[in-house]
Amino acid sequence: MNAIVISAVLGVVMMFCGVFTNSKTAVRTVAIIGLLGLVVSNVLDMGGYHFFEKVNVRGMLSFDIIGLLFNTIAFGSTWIYFLLSGRDMERVGVNLAEYFALIFFVLCGIAIVSSFNSLLMLFLGIEIISIPLYILTGSDKRNLKSNEAALKYFLMGSFSTGIMLMGITLIYGVKGSFDMEVIRQGTLNLTPMIAAGLLLLLFAMSFKVSAVPFHFWTPDAYDGAPTVFTSFMATIVKVAGFIAFIRLFEGCFGDVKGQWQLLAAIITAATLFIGNITAVFQQSVKRMLSYSSIAQAGFMLFALVAMNNMAKEGMIFYAAAYSLATIGIFAVLLKMKDYTFEGFNGLAKRQPVLAATNTVFLLSLAGIPATAGFWAKFYMLSAAVEDGNVLWLVIVGVLCAAISVYYYFRVIQAMYFKDGDPQEIETSRSFKGLLIVIAAVVILLGIFPHWLLNQLYSFFYL
Amino acid sequence: MDISQVLFYALSAMALGSAIMVVISRNPVHSVLWLIITFFAISGHYILLNAQFLGIVNLIVYAGAIMVLFLFVIMLMNLNAETEPQKNKWLKLAGVVAGGCLLLVLVAALKQAEVKGKVAELGTGDIGLIKNLGNALFTDFVVPFEISSILFLSAMVGAVVIGKK
Repeated sequence: MNAIVISAVLGVVMMFCGVFTNSKTAVRTVAIIGLLGLVVSNVLDMGGYHFFEKVNVRGMLSFDIIGLLFNTIAFGSTWIYFLLSGRDMERVGVNLAEYFALIFFVLCGIAIVSSFNSLLMLFLGIEIISIPLYILTGSDKRNLKSNEAALKYFLMGSFSTGIMLMGITLIYGVKGSFDMEVIRQGTLNLTPMIAAGLLLLLFAMSFKVSAVPFHFWTPDAYDGAPTVFTSFMATIVKVAGFIAFIRLFEGCFGDVKGQWQLLAAIITAATLFIGNITAVFQQSVKRMLSYSSIAQAGFMLFALVAMNNMAKEGMIFYAAAYSLATIGIFAVLLKMKDYTFEGFNGLAKRQPVLAATNTVFLLSLAGIPATAGFWAKFYMLSAAVEDGNVLWLVIVGVLCAAISVYYYFRVIQAMYFKDGDPQEIETSRSFKGLLIVIAAVVILLGIFPHWLLNQLYSFFYL
Repeated sequence: MDISQVLFYALSAMALGSAIMVVISRNPVHSVLWLIITFFAISGHYILLNAQFLGIVNLIVYAGAIMVLFLFVIMLMNLNAETEPQKNKWLKLAGVVAGGCLLLVLVAALKQAEVKGKVAELGTGDIGLIKNLGNALFTDFVVPFEISSILFLSAMVGAVVIGKK
């Protein structure tokens, strides 16, 4: 509850910030300090200090460890994102304070979808995440591509929300309640009406996390949006979609997993396959990263298919590994003027720090051992092995991970082994320092994978 | 057949018929007008269920405000037969097959709808009265009610960001 209330209040604070000051540095500083406060308040929530204990949520929300842990990771990644790319937001348009306000509202939505216990709250959370994102996608108003992306994202997103509402309606029609526990009780096999509701919810949520065949909006929206916001959309928001997806399907349909597992597995296999194959043929690194986000979504869907403890812990780990690495790559990409692979030619000679940290992030996304990405993929695959019903999916996953190495390594190859006219890149010392810190965290998580989980678990249970 | 049954069937026929007309009319302005008739029919259903407040709100908000906005947008876009995009024949076929499959699933679902015993109370139920609605909204559903304010706030901020020069 701390996170929901405080992030909403911070959103309002940012709006007033835009009224009282014109200084961009002041606005950015307020946002960074506010977000740090949000992270701290959420950590305190995990430690048992609930600021809003008197609020009776009437079973609409329930705050469990996994959700709070995920909030911490999402807010922490957003904090790093603010530090790395906050300066680049100024270049998008004049409404800097409003952009920060919208991001705080998105974080409020994330806190809701990580703790909802009623389908009504799921709907509100997903909408609070989506609506600010439509705006951020179209925030570069002079750019036609940005306008097109925003309109496309908005239309497709509204349509999928409609499908989700239809699914919720059908389930409400059977059970007479929005409460997930009531829905779960007595759902031992799928009657046609529940099955129809489940399917519609599955489709709508697959759309929100851009799983194949509901991924068509993703490359256009991510490519057209201002790069600084693509970074946020493709990482933190996407992972939050997965937390909602898993929470919904575990909470409502966990007992009938056998009846929808195959369908989820087929969606997962298609997502892995199409995402990876299409990423191979991209010429622009930004577009490659949007397809890579679809491919990574395929791996995160393993958690939905397996749905055991290993999967849920792995999902948290994946969230951290994927968000950190992708935010880092986008931060470097933002400094470039040419987004094609050729633009990276010869980067290692002029900017050795940027090239080296970027290499670490790319290796992590590809899942090379000794990086966080390896363990993230390892947890996902072993969760599926533990489940035992979908071994074929594990094989597909391993094959697709091998394909992904190709396009991630193309960037590394361009940076280190190709000569080209290097672009003029301005970077500050603190930017480089921060990139090195993130790269160090990615490697540390790769060498001591249990550190993150154990550290936080021991923290709560003391 | 008593009067409420007659009304029910008449309103249902009206709602379904005008909903189909929304989809099949060629002129988008006609589609919007048919949609308004659909909303009127649904409001009639609400009133049959003794939910006057919902019925009136449905009329004021949907048939009134939102549909007027729709009309404005459609007239501003100046859609007509010449600007209509040509659709691929295969795409149309795929649409028909996909839509048909969805229809099949939904019909199967609704055929066995488990609503026995939860039949709506015609005219006598008081769940839709404004007093009970207010009670439910401010007790059981107070959290979603308050949180939806964040949704509207973010939408307003967004509208300003997009609309401002």
